[in-house]
Parts: sequence; C-alpha cells; structure tokens
Amino acid sequence: MPKRQCEEALNKLFEYIDGELSDEELLRIGSHLKECPPCEAERRINEKIRLLVSKAHSGQAPHQLRERVLSTIQMAREESHH
Amino acid sequence: MTLTGSIETREVRKGLRARRQVGSLPMSDNTNLDFEVEALSYMDQLYAAALRMTRNSADAEDLVQETYAKAFAAQDKFTPGTNLKAWLYRIQTNAFINSYRKKQREPKRTDADTVEDWQLASAAQHQSAGLASAEETALDALGDNEIRDALAELSDDFRMAVYLSDVEGFAYKEIAEIMDTPVGTVMSRLHRGRRMLREKLRDYAAEQGIRDYRAEAQS
Repeated sequence: MPKRQCEEALNKLFEYIDGELSDEELLRIGSHLKECPPCEAERRINEKIRLLVSKAHSGQAPHQLRERVLSTIQMAREESHH
Repeated sequence: MTLTGSIETREVRKGLRARRQVGSLPMSDNTNLDFEVEALSYMDQLYAAALRMTRNSADAEDLVQETYAKAFAAQDKFTPGTNLKAWLYRIQTNAFINSYRKKQREPKRTDADTVEDWQLASAAQHQSAGLASAEETALDALGDNEIRDALAELSDDFRMAVYLSDVEGFAYKEIAEIMDTPVGTVMSRLHRGRRMLREKLRDYAAEQGIRDYRAEAQS
C-alpha cells in the first residue's frame, strides 16, 4: 500500500515528466523518487513511453502536398491583389 | 534521473517552447514573407499531426491544405511574435473537429472530463520490481509501427492530447488553447490517454511474446 509520499509522487508523475511542476514540487518529488525504487520504476516506464511516442513520429509531408499548399497560397495572394 | 537533471529537462522543454515564440517580426514589407516562411516551416509537423488525427493520408493532406488556406486568409488576425505554431495547430484542430471527425463513431467525451476524473484516473500503483523490469524490456522491443497503431486506437481527444504533449512538446496551457478546453480537461485526457496507451502497448508486447514463443516452439 503506497504511503502518502508515494501517492503524491504517483499522482503528479505525469506533471513531473511533462515539466509542469514548480521548482519546489520538482525537488520534493524528485527527492522521493531517489528513495523509492517502485515509484522511480513507474517514472522510468512512463518516461520511456513518452520517448517512444515521440520517436515514432518523425516524418515529412508528401511532396505533392507541399506543392498543393504553395499553389493555394499563390492563389490567395493573387486574389488579395484584386 | 538526478534532481538537477529533472530541473534541467524541464528547463530544456521550456526553452524549446520559448524558442518557438521568439522572433517578433518587424512591421515592414517583409512581415508577410516572414509569416509565410515560418508558417510553411511547420508543414511536416502539421502533416504528421493530421495523419495521426485522420488516420489516412488523403484526408491528412486535405486537412493540411485546408489549414494553410484558413491560416493565410486569417493572417491579419495573427499577432506577430506570438506562438504561430500553436495558432496553426488551433486552426487545424478546429478544422479536424468540424470536418473530419466522425461524430457517430465516438461518444463526446468532453462532458466527462472533469478535474475529479483525472485525479481518480491517475492513481497509479507500485509494481513489483520484476514486473516493472519486464515491462521496460517489452517496451524496448516494440517498433514504431506498433506505437503508432496503439495511438491510433485511442479516441480522438485522448490521441490528440497525447500527441500534442509527447510529440510536439506543447505545455498543458498551450494544449488547452489548441483544443479549446480547460487545462483540467487536458490533464484528464493525458492521464487517461496515456493509461490506455500503456495498456495497449502491454497487449502488443504480449502478442509478440506469444508469437515468439510459438516460433521458438516450432524450431
């Protein structure tokens, strides 16, 4: 059964990983993670999932899309000159 | 991760966000060109986000084109020096919600996303060290395709929130602007979306494990 500090750390874990906590909270929870292997393990897993999601999404727009957008902008420019 | 390491990470993420906002454009003849150049520089990212949202490339292309058409038509409504990337994402997200989301397919979740909900949903538990280690190993074995497939199975709102946070690195406040919801709703969607994602990744890893086991049993 997790203690009160574990509850706080686990409840705020996403905010911790997402960089949304204040310095004070960051230090308090970070300090708990150093002392609590199961909470730290949860952090590692959620941090890893975040990294995997980020890594799985690097790509380029298709060439024809770029051309379509550029011609759309060109038409919009010509229209605004009328 | 060390204590200073975690503060550094947070500051790096903040810095990346701030850099996006830097570059207040001088009010000159080049104002339009600067807007155009910067807006176009986000096309790859907008396309990737559109692909995650619509889940097919033809609709994704249409969505991006529509986004740029709207953005350029509304160019004078954009305040130079503010967050152009978030502004474009907001336009694209609205366009997606209005045109492409199949309203019949999923119930509207917005009413259910209360602050209390996310507090309940975030009650993570300790795992045993053995299970935690096994889960990490299993995650390492997953391919990019499986990550993307798992994300595609989430509902639009959850998927969008997770994508905007994990891939684009937007802050909760920025995601709230882009999705036009309160920050509490964003947090709820992130909590629940990530929990669902984690469950699905576990399923994928288990399926792979069964396949591996069978393959080995036959060799």
